[in-house]
Amino acid sequence: MKRLVIAVALSCAAAPALAIDFGKIIDVGRQVVTQPAATGSKEFSQEDEIGLGDALTASFLGASPLHPDANLQRYVNRVGRWIALHSDRPDLPWTFSVIDTETINAFAMPGGSIIVSSGLLKRLGNEAELAGVLAHEIAHVVKKHQLKAIQSGMQADFWKGIGTSVAADQVKIGGGTVGRTVGNAAKPYLLDAAGNLIKDGFFLRPLDRGLESEADHLGVVLAARSGYDPYGLAGALQMLAQYKGGGDAASVFSTHPSPTDRLADLEKFMPAVESAVRQPQLLEARFKQNVK
Amino acid sequence: MIRRLLATVFLLGLATSAWAQEQAFTNRSTELKDKAAPEAATLKTLPENTELKVLQRSGGWTRVDAGGQQGWVRVFHLRFPATTETSSGGGLSSLSSALGFGRQKSQTTTIATTGIRGLSPEDLKNANPDTAALAKAQSYRSDKPTAERYAREGKLATTKVDAP
Repeated sequence: MKRLVIAVALSCAAAPALAIDFGKIIDVGRQVVTQPAATGSKEFSQEDEIGLGDALTASFLGASPLHPDANLQRYVNRVGRWIALHSDRPDLPWTFSVIDTETINAFAMPGGSIIVSSGLLKRLGNEAELAGVLAHEIAHVVKKHQLKAIQSGMQADFWKGIGTSVAADQVKIGGGTVGRTVGNAAKPYLLDAAGNLIKDGFFLRPLDRGLESEADHLGVVLAARSGYDPYGLAGALQMLAQYKGGGDAASVFSTHPSPTDRLADLEKFMPAVESAVRQPQLLEARFKQNVK
Repeated sequence: MIRRLLATVFLLGLATSAWAQEQAFTNRSTELKDKAAPEAATLKTLPENTELKVLQRSGGWTRVDAGGQQGWVRVFHLRFPATTETSSGGGLSSLSSALGFGRQKSQTTTIATTGIRGLSPEDLKNANPDTAALAKAQSYRSDKPTAERYAREGKLATTKVDAP
């Protein structure tokens, strides 16, 4: 709710400066938003979902640098991609970035960009626990949890936001840059949207508890489908339960339900998955070779 | 003076969380097993609220020390003081534990709790997009064949599990 209020406030602040033909805004807007006639709801195209995720990731990496260990980055990408291949969105441009920070958290961007902190990684005990964490974030992307929250917060102002971008674009085009090609992340309306979300602290606030539970359940299923011990997420949550008290405002303790509550929820869910698992792997040695 | 006081409180907090890392209680009556498996032999039955020392995690099992006897209990059958006590509830018990075995581990815990190089909300809100870092992050992506090969090396087999 607060998110919506802030978004609306931002749009109102921007509105007086706009003097753009509304028809043009709608016209350009069609490139961004599919608008089913029946419902009138607005959704990002997959291309723009990915572009928004890229812009958000660039901001995260501006706040917290990539971990310098290239081997670690490749390792997390291999594990993550393997799990994502068992999801309903196997062919997104899945990107897993380890940021070099002691803050314990992981974040999912729309479009398949996952960010995990080295502070979280080094407290995990094996690859199954890493798989549990990554699968939870992958589940958020597959279910479009963040994307839907972003879209619903933008209902009122997104058109105006696009309008601002159109104005900027038109100025540049008018200045002789017609025909330039821009990547998704460079689309002004996506950069604007990402910038506003970051400034607004979107990723510092918790998602709905029901969405976190859904991501935990689907995450456990994805990890189990990928051949991992399905208790990896439970192990990671146990670690978090033991570390509580050391969390800062950007940590998992501020952005997620308590690990103890999540463990209690998982206990009820696990029997359904456990019966399907055959030869689950923990891969402790491989994890410790790669995460130092 | 205030700074010194803060430092003292801070150190106390560190030692307390180190202590909390190792301590757990059973949240119900449960069996202490000699291996991390349901079919393993039962060493003894632990009543609810038995105090334990956590030694190791392994999948759905946790290796614990129960009054000198070591074995495995189900991960869901444990609760942790860090999530059942508020930070203001430290008092004398925190002080005494701070002077106990928890102290040795406080070195490693320092990293977790000081917030040094942590990601602050201000860092994130004021971030300028780093497109070069984005490109570098994307250069580490794994393609499908690489991910599949790496999974085979780890003996990870695709398993049919229904969607929740």
